[in-house]
Amino acid sequence: MNINTNLKEQNTYDAIVVGSGISGGWAAKELTEKGLRVLMLERGMNIEHIKDYDSAMKNPWDFQHAGKMTEEQKRTHPVQIRDYPYNEPTEKWWVNDLECPYTEDKRFDWYRGFHVGGKSLMWGRQSYRFSDHNFEDNAKDGHGNDWPIRYKDISPWYDYAEKFVGISGQAENWPLLPDGEFLPPMDLNCVEKSVKERIEKHYNRSRILTIGRTANLTVPHNGRGSCQYRNLCSRGCPFGAYFSTQSSTLPAAMATKKLTVRPYSIVNHIIYDKDTKKAKGVMVIDAETNETMEFYAKIVFVNGSTLGSTFILLNSTSDAHPEGMGNASGQLGHNLMDHHFRCGAEGTAEGFEDKYTYGRRANGIYIPRYQNVGNDKRDYLRGFGYQGGASRGSWHKEVAELAFGDNFKQTMSLPADSWSMGLGGFGEMLPYYENKVYIDHTKKDKWGQPVLAIDCETKDNEAKMREDMMYDAAEMLEASGIKNVKTYDNDYYPGMAIHEMGTARMGNDPKTSVLNKWNQMHEVNNVFVTDGSCMPSIACQNPSLTFMALTARACDYAVKELKKGNI
Amino acid sequence: MDRRQALKNVAFLMGGAISATTFGILFESFTPADNERNHVSFSASEEEILAEFADIIIPTSASSAGAKAAGLGTFIPMMIRECYPANMQDIFAKGLIEMDDKCIKEYNKNFLSLSVAERQKVVTDLKDQCIADKKAPSFFLIARDLTILGYYSSEIGCTQAREYLLIPGRYDGSAEYKPGQKAWATN
Repeated sequence: MNINTNLKEQNTYDAIVVGSGISGGWAAKELTEKGLRVLMLERGMNIEHIKDYDSAMKNPWDFQHAGKMTEEQKRTHPVQIRDYPYNEPTEKWWVNDLECPYTEDKRFDWYRGFHVGGKSLMWGRQSYRFSDHNFEDNAKDGHGNDWPIRYKDISPWYDYAEKFVGISGQAENWPLLPDGEFLPPMDLNCVEKSVKERIEKHYNRSRILTIGRTANLTVPHNGRGSCQYRNLCSRGCPFGAYFSTQSSTLPAAMATKKLTVRPYSIVNHIIYDKDTKKAKGVMVIDAETNETMEFYAKIVFVNGSTLGSTFILLNSTSDAHPEGMGNASGQLGHNLMDHHFRCGAEGTAEGFEDKYTYGRRANGIYIPRYQNVGNDKRDYLRGFGYQGGASRGSWHKEVAELAFGDNFKQTMSLPADSWSMGLGGFGEMLPYYENKVYIDHTKKDKWGQPVLAIDCETKDNEAKMREDMMYDAAEMLEASGIKNVKTYDNDYYPGMAIHEMGTARMGNDPKTSVLNKWNQMHEVNNVFVTDGSCMPSIACQNPSLTFMALTARACDYAVKELKKGNI
Repeated sequence: MDRRQALKNVAFLMGGAISATTFGILFESFTPADNERNHVSFSASEEEILAEFADIIIPTSASSAGAKAAGLGTFIPMMIRECYPANMQDIFAKGLIEMDDKCIKEYNKNFLSLSVAERQKVVTDLKDQCIADKKAPSFFLIARDLTILGYYSSEIGCTQAREYLLIPGRYDGSAEYKPGQKAWATN
């Protein structure tokens, strides 16, 4: 009999990182740089930096269908097709919904990037810090559980993450939106500058408008090139000018020579050792061959994206954890949140006809939250911020209906007579216990695994907030001299912001949370979860920078504990 | 960047000229039935008609070649077959035949045999009918949409009718606009 006694040894690492996206890449970098041998498991295909960015340097005419989706692509991506990110240039980077089904108890648009880099390849790059105002909200109004950390705990890690990533932005000294370690800001355009000046004057600087804080480099940084203003980021950047696993954390981890990356590795569950009361490792299904195998490690970092991670934890049942690993509190799967958006206002800016843009800025403006702050009291809790911007497109209102011919062509080949300016709100969704996910055993995915069922909806607080998101925007635009101001609400369903968070929240009390203040699982002390699933609340700021900071902080703690022999 | 810009930008650059029908099919969520690709097919002479039709919508001008030169004769039928649901493919294909029949009825010649001025008259009639029908899906509506979309994403449309930069290298949000300066091809 030929026993491969080396197999277990070959499959044993110091640490396993599940997932290779924004937070997984960070875990791999931090843990390898601290000397650990790390296995990073990614369920999808490999995508190599620059080499595999097939569409990055394509011109509009290089796409057969002018960027639109074919019927076949729509058939195999019935959920991904629901919104803007899925298009011809990026279509290989969005999940095949038919292979990876899920159950919607209520409509939930679940956008997934199953490949090395995850959504860090296609993300929006807006990067804002949380402040104590956000960390205190749960305790103040009683929705959700108290965050186990405050700004002073995470601030040094925001510094650390920003310095590595390279965030361009403008310091504003605005307490609710703490300034960071910025590279030079991108420019506001002429209309935005005017609107900024007029809003800040009109409201006596109780509201500010600033350039977006974005993970695009305005100067070369750490060997990566600066932004070339092509606005094609989501195709992958040949200059490495925005942060992704591929451009930033993966090269750093590979440089340590301690990282092994295994694509096509679907983690089905974490293996629990009832004698040591620790995680032993993970069970993996090879996505190409359907073979199952086990990998072992001293610590496991779960970074499979919010719902991917929670699925794994719910699926990791044992006698000790009948309702899923780390679920003694009953909170696992609950308190699902997403930012609600797709409402605001837009209008025309007149008087800028002698100005145009040069270059395509992959960034917009930001108005941080000012509601329920100081004397500003609303009939809903918490609040929203705005993204948006001004542009001079080719919309010609004077063109006759269904026009054609030479005059029509001449008009269409010129920019519009006037600029337009828009503000789109991003609102905080409260943590509701009833917004939840659980495992649906009546369905199977392509590999025979059960699927996730999602039951999530916005409620009264969000509905009231959306009205202000429209009317405040209209009021501010009008105060800035913008004409023909119209509000809009294009209907929002959870998942659309692709900021789904919660379901494995942090907290000081093991009775009401899954993780402690170090993102360490209360019940299994060598398991750490640092992606969006850990969030007790979501504020209105884009979250990825916070994931990076929490990950670096948790890795620092985990390695120290490992060295002390505590885990 | 405003997330909606990514989607709206294309329509923006088309001058808001694309109909709600095409917008709904090509830009927004829509789940087709199985096997609707290639529900119809187009002959070589029909592709020729489409090329000439497109050239009426966007003709050659002093600064730039028109839709026919930009390859719309093959682009339009390909998009119909691959990106439109079966019922729309039928409406389009039937409408194309009806247009040719109309030419024979009114001029005793088919579309390809008409002069440019005669073709312009025929297309104007179709446009008027479309407006009267409150822009219900029709051959004219869809063909015009695809002409605009196809032309302004073609090399001719992007680099001759408009201006195109693969790598701008910098951003100036207060650049001087010279009167008559062409629009950027992409956003």
